[in-house]
Amino acid sequence: MRTKKKEGTAEAGKAVSPEKAAATGLWSGTVSFSLVAIPVRLVKAVEPGRVSFHLLHNKDYSPVKRAMFCPGEGAAVPPEEIVRGYELEPGKHLMVTDEELESVAPERSRTIEIAEFIDLREVDPLYFDHPYYLVPLKGGEKSYRLLAEALRRTNKAGLAKFVLGEREYLVTVRSKDGALALSTLHYSAELLADAQYAPGKAADEKEKNAVKKCVKEMLGGFTPGKYSDVRRKKLLALLKKKAGGAQVQAPELEGEPAEGVADLVAALEESMSRMKGAR
Amino acid sequence: MSVNTVKVAGRELALSNLEKDLYPSYGFTKARVLEYYGRIAPVLLPHLRDRALTLKRYPDGADAEYFFEKRCPAGRPAWLKTAEIPYGSKKKLTACLVNDLQTLLWVENLASLELHVPLARAATPGKPDSVVFDLDPGDGAGLRDCVKVALMLKGLFDGMKLFSCVKTSGKKGLHVFVPLNTAADFGKTKAFSKAVAGVLQKSYPALVTAQMAKELRKGRVFINWSQNDAAKTMVAVYSLRAGPVPTVSFPLAWKELQGLNGPAAPAELQVTPAEAVARAQGDLFRDLLVKKQELPYL
Amino acid sequence: MPATIWIGNIHFGTISVPVKLHTAVSQDRVEFHLLHKTDRVRLRQQMICALEKTPIPAEEQVKGFRLEERKYVLIAPADLEQAEPEGGREIAVHEFVAAGEIDPVYRERTYFLEPGEAPAGYAALAAALWEMKAEGICTWVMRKRAYLGALASGGKTLRLGVLRYADEVIPAGSLGLEDFSLSEKELEIGAQLIDRLSVPFQPGKYADEHQGKLRRLLERKARGEKISLLQPRQLRHTEGGKLLAALEASLKAAK
Repeated sequence: MRTKKKEGTAEAGKAVSPEKAAATGLWSGTVSFSLVAIPVRLVKAVEPGRVSFHLLHNKDYSPVKRAMFCPGEGAAVPPEEIVRGYELEPGKHLMVTDEELESVAPERSRTIEIAEFIDLREVDPLYFDHPYYLVPLKGGEKSYRLLAEALRRTNKAGLAKFVLGEREYLVTVRSKDGALALSTLHYSAELLADAQYAPGKAADEKEKNAVKKCVKEMLGGFTPGKYSDVRRKKLLALLKKKAGGAQVQAPELEGEPAEGVADLVAALEESMSRMKGAR
Repeated sequence: MSVNTVKVAGRELALSNLEKDLYPSYGFTKARVLEYYGRIAPVLLPHLRDRALTLKRYPDGADAEYFFEKRCPAGRPAWLKTAEIPYGSKKKLTACLVNDLQTLLWVENLASLELHVPLARAATPGKPDSVVFDLDPGDGAGLRDCVKVALMLKGLFDGMKLFSCVKTSGKKGLHVFVPLNTAADFGKTKAFSKAVAGVLQKSYPALVTAQMAKELRKGRVFINWSQNDAAKTMVAVYSLRAGPVPTVSFPLAWKELQGLNGPAAPAELQVTPAEAVARAQGDLFRDLLVKKQELPYL
Repeated sequence: MPATIWIGNIHFGTISVPVKLHTAVSQDRVEFHLLHKTDRVRLRQQMICALEKTPIPAEEQVKGFRLEERKYVLIAPADLEQAEPEGGREIAVHEFVAAGEIDPVYRERTYFLEPGEAPAGYAALAAALWEMKAEGICTWVMRKRAYLGALASGGKTLRLGVLRYADEVIPAGSLGLEDFSLSEKELEIGAQLIDRLSVPFQPGKYADEHQGKLRRLLERKARGEKISLLQPRQLRHTEGGKLLAALEASLKAAK
């Protein structure tokens, strides 16, 4: 069984983000609208298809891992000895605890309270930040279903704010294939002005109509499955090929597994084929 | 903070914050956690006995931050049994031995929802009592696939006249054990488990992988043989698991296993049925501690 | 003007428009440092060798792909080069779709496009896409990665949104949600309630108030004031059997 967080990782206890919370299923709370409150958990809606590599030390092939390092002590620091600090002036920090952070907005840290509904088509795609799903917890299945279905019928999305870790997020909650999908939005103050890039001259009518004609000819439906990441495909093919080739081994502190298991493997393979034959 | 003092086996224990909800999305207070461990103790304690406990503490509840603690926490009462265990290549550390109810409750008062122990006892850290096969479904695979693999393992062990037993991980996986209780070492158990995982992978490449690499195990069950290691711990049988719902790592009879077909954790893994089943059938994992077997061909 | 991120050429049919990519979002937030509790020294992120427990400089690190515990195949920079997509400066538009057709789950970040050298056609393209409410599905290679994107117009300015690949989106069907039957009455009241609480989307209304509150808390703390700790608010969940009553009461309250 894999654990959510490996022993000794430095970020433990700090810098909670929705992405991390969703990946680990760590955030659960309530989504509410008017007098209806639904217990839910935040889970991820997307998973980057990136191929993950490990960094190794070229001397001994031990893994090299990111850790919080104390220059004063010259050693990596365990998570329980890490605290958040706000820099008041260079070198002078104010220590801030998780409880103090949660006290900034206790009404929003466990509750996504939908006060308004909007038409999602009015939201400029620029605003979308990161997508998630909400899944119902025990006892919330029916009201979850109701919100999802009512949103689908009305073609609306809920708008709410909630707080996770050090930040407050503006989010929409909408219906997607029977589930509630949540997207964090950028605040409008975070969006830069695009007017500075607008060309000085207005569009030439004739030219515009020529473009329109061309666009019309190329109109189709959005079928994302048609496009795939060329790089990832190539990488996976490469890895499959390399997996059969030369490997390196990282050292271990404990004893190595004994060699000479040929008899065992032969015996296992024989029982295996007997099992298969018996079916 | 509210504190209740209770007397267990003549020892005074100060239990704090009993009303604190440790599974907030489900509703399961610390009092209820202590009650569960108190009730399950008769079957659980033999599996913790004389093993160095790794605490997995959730001071703010199952959906908040947690940390592992191999060291027996400071402030422990004088009567609490401990053991010096090797830590890294040179150092040693002091670990808790949960040999009695009062120690179990003391540990649970620290909100160690999950209890993890090594396959070897503290006095003989290089000598495992069993071999374990930790079945972990990759993305796109589920409990159903783990069940298939577990039954294959059983078939394989039956063919070798080896008794085996199985428990749920309390999450999406299964743990299959072969009890030994004879003089084995981790070198042997690891070689055995690795060979078994390799043979299964070769026979059922679409279902089983012995490779850890996530990218290469989509839709398949990873047989984590590397748990057979002195430095590793496994979640103890009957331990609670942290998650949205309080589930239990629970032993199952082989014939019950075939009934486990749901996509997620089945209801029988939850606390209340677990308490009742354990009371009715006793410790289904007792053989893990007493059955003497030797690994063949090693 | 924010720095140019990349320079490319939009291409479809006989149309070719040179553009420069700029970031569209800037975030300013209270930042914390991580400190060592015992000596309050600011911690730095370092790459530590698991065996030697010492920081390892970048030149002593190699990339490995883990096959199983402690077994890796080494991946040389040359291997990665092999997997690199063909580079170029072309943003190739393959087809156009109606703006509402792209599910938001696909949308990642967006870039603003500045007209590049010889910007003939930029204004026409921006105006045409704006009037047609269309987006161009395109692909390009930037910094050795292959991207899928949506070319759109904000009126006078073009935008290039990065889209996720289809296999990066987790289908809702995999969440294992159970179907739950609802009465028509419950649904109707739910829909009415939503309609009644609906407003036009005015993003300017919503500011990140949290940053200000957080700053005030820090100021108070810096002055040595005691911070009173507040428990997060928890709402009582609506039970399935009481859903209809809760909806009816909600509708009344919303009048």
